[in-house]
Amino acid sequence: MLRRTSVGVGLVLALVLSLSVTAWTQGKPPVKVALVAAMSGGSALSGEAIKRGLTVAIDEINARGGVLGGSKLELVIRDEEGNPSKGVTAARDVIEREKAVAVFGGLHSPVGLAMLPVFHELRVPYVGTWAAATNITRNGRTPNFMFRVSANDDIVDHFLAKHVVEKLGKKKPGVILENTPWGASNQEGLTKWLGKLGAPAVGFEKFNWNDPDMSPQLLRLKNGGADAIVMVANAPEGAQVVKSRAKIGWDVPTISHWGISGGRFPELTGELADSVVFVQTYSFFGKQSEVGERVIAALKTKYGLKGPEDILAPVGTANAYDAMHLVALALDKAGAADGAKLRDALENLGEYKGLIKTYKRPFTPEEHDALNESDYVLVTWRGGKIVPVSMK
Amino acid sequence: MLAQLVFSGLALGSMYALVALGYNITYATSRTVNFSQGQSVMVGAVVAYALYVGAGWPLLAALVVSLSALAALGVLVERIAVRPFLASSSIAWLLSTIAIGIIAENVAMVVFGKDARAFPSPLTARPWTVLGAGVYPQELLVPLVGIALMALVELAFRRTLAGKALRAVAFSHDAAGLMGIDVTRTITAAYALSSVLAGVAGILLAPLLNVSATMGTTMGLKAFAVAIIGGIESARGIVVAGILYGIFEAIVAGYLGTGVREILGFALVIVVLLLRPWGLFGTPALRRV
Repeated sequence: MLRRTSVGVGLVLALVLSLSVTAWTQGKPPVKVALVAAMSGGSALSGEAIKRGLTVAIDEINARGGVLGGSKLELVIRDEEGNPSKGVTAARDVIEREKAVAVFGGLHSPVGLAMLPVFHELRVPYVGTWAAATNITRNGRTPNFMFRVSANDDIVDHFLAKHVVEKLGKKKPGVILENTPWGASNQEGLTKWLGKLGAPAVGFEKFNWNDPDMSPQLLRLKNGGADAIVMVANAPEGAQVVKSRAKIGWDVPTISHWGISGGRFPELTGELADSVVFVQTYSFFGKQSEVGERVIAALKTKYGLKGPEDILAPVGTANAYDAMHLVALALDKAGAADGAKLRDALENLGEYKGLIKTYKRPFTPEEHDALNESDYVLVTWRGGKIVPVSMK
Repeated sequence: MLAQLVFSGLALGSMYALVALGYNITYATSRTVNFSQGQSVMVGAVVAYALYVGAGWPLLAALVVSLSALAALGVLVERIAVRPFLASSSIAWLLSTIAIGIIAENVAMVVFGKDARAFPSPLTARPWTVLGAGVYPQELLVPLVGIALMALVELAFRRTLAGKALRAVAFSHDAAGLMGIDVTRTITAAYALSSVLAGVAGILLAPLLNVSATMGTTMGLKAFAVAIIGGIESARGIVVAGILYGIFEAIVAGYLGTGVREILGFALVIVVLLLRPWGLFGTPALRRV
């Protein structure tokens, strides 16, 4: 009898103990955030870069106790494969089934635009970390659930146009861009801004992905009297443009959108890389802030990188890192893991000292792009490293 | 401007011809075509890159091994994607060779990665000025090697025993078989040779085009267009058509714009098919009853 009682007591004790241990290790249930981006295919590098930025930020936040007074952050990742309808399914899945309170977006603008109605229907904020199409954030909705910590084509085009016309004093720029919706978005922006600055483009030449030789297009621009090239391309095609330009012996300033930073442009072009200036939201080269040092150190230990030159597609990592921290701050401000409250909190955040800059007030009801023209940096390559160009 | 465009078209055009010659060789011997020729171009470049740049082998060793690998690939394609379907005289080989191409492309994406990589060559370091046009020395080397190789293949067909066997098989399987020629092995050899030619094109183009998993896809398609235009049974027609097609593309892109290039190029294929189904340089097949 005595033995049986003691066994029973022991069992109860063990049960209580194990329960309290689980309760202690689990703490509060985790808060989930999601990344819906291209994780495979030709743009897989961008998805990986964004994942790294988010992960480094989440590790920092969890190490100091998580959000909402002790909840750990958990990242759910879905691959949209660059396909808008897969993006829509993935967005629904992470919100309805995984209960994600915020969704980060990837490189492809068409996917971001396709998912837009889902976020408004399910009332969960989207925070873009790469895709730059103007109307992702400027969509005319109130309340607007679309936020972005990245570039915006319209603003980039103004930035590029201003540089060409006002800093370089060129009056007849020629534009070469890829034959995709991204190229079209920039054709619109560049037509508008170059026109307003009184230097309309002498021509818009297009190329397809994997086109081997761009000299016919460049010859057309050259014969049209172009005195500068504005380029909207990813790394492989951008490299062919620059090599073809050198081949036809045409020495004009070449200014590029940021697509060429998503691959191995310096390797593909050699010393010609140094002749191109392009726009970035952040550069891991050069003197880093305290935050910059910390992020590089974390990337080195977690992903075995040797240095900043191994950070491929750096803007994805930088944008995602700041975006994650801003969402964490907004969660604490909202006081609950609730999409609508989180959206309101994002619009009313205070100062945050981030990687890209110190955000005074990251978002307002009118402005859902945390980065603007004054945050863009003009950079070029020197010996394979990205270095800032002075704007004088 | 014209000289510049002709030079641009010459290099690419001669490579269309080299790849298209592969279509000709297998079609002549077996009435089948390897639709993964474009991916053979890519495999040639990727394997050569892995050995020469990745493993740091001497160039010659890397070339020999990668072209041997291409020959093996050709044999493999013939064994698993063509021969099983030859007996039933179905066109299943069409789908199965396309399938091989898609598999090769995706394997390359997994193994080699998704980024384009540079293939260093001293011949693409500085452009030369020839006839007032800028041209990379590699762009001159490409048509030279291409044309020399095509001449060599032609010579081998006429002078060597193996070449004569290939031609005999192309003429008639039954007659060649009766003469003691191993028809099956000859077809296998034709596949190996056609893959090697595509591989050479890939390696020659690598310094100009960069190396990537998708580099051969359009190439394979355009080479097939060239084979149709030149006449798939006419090796010489294909060589001429390939070079002309490359120059035609560059001139259309230069004077009318890139948007028009593919429209006119492939419209030309349809026009040729309508007016001369046997190709510009081919001869109409005799109808045997």
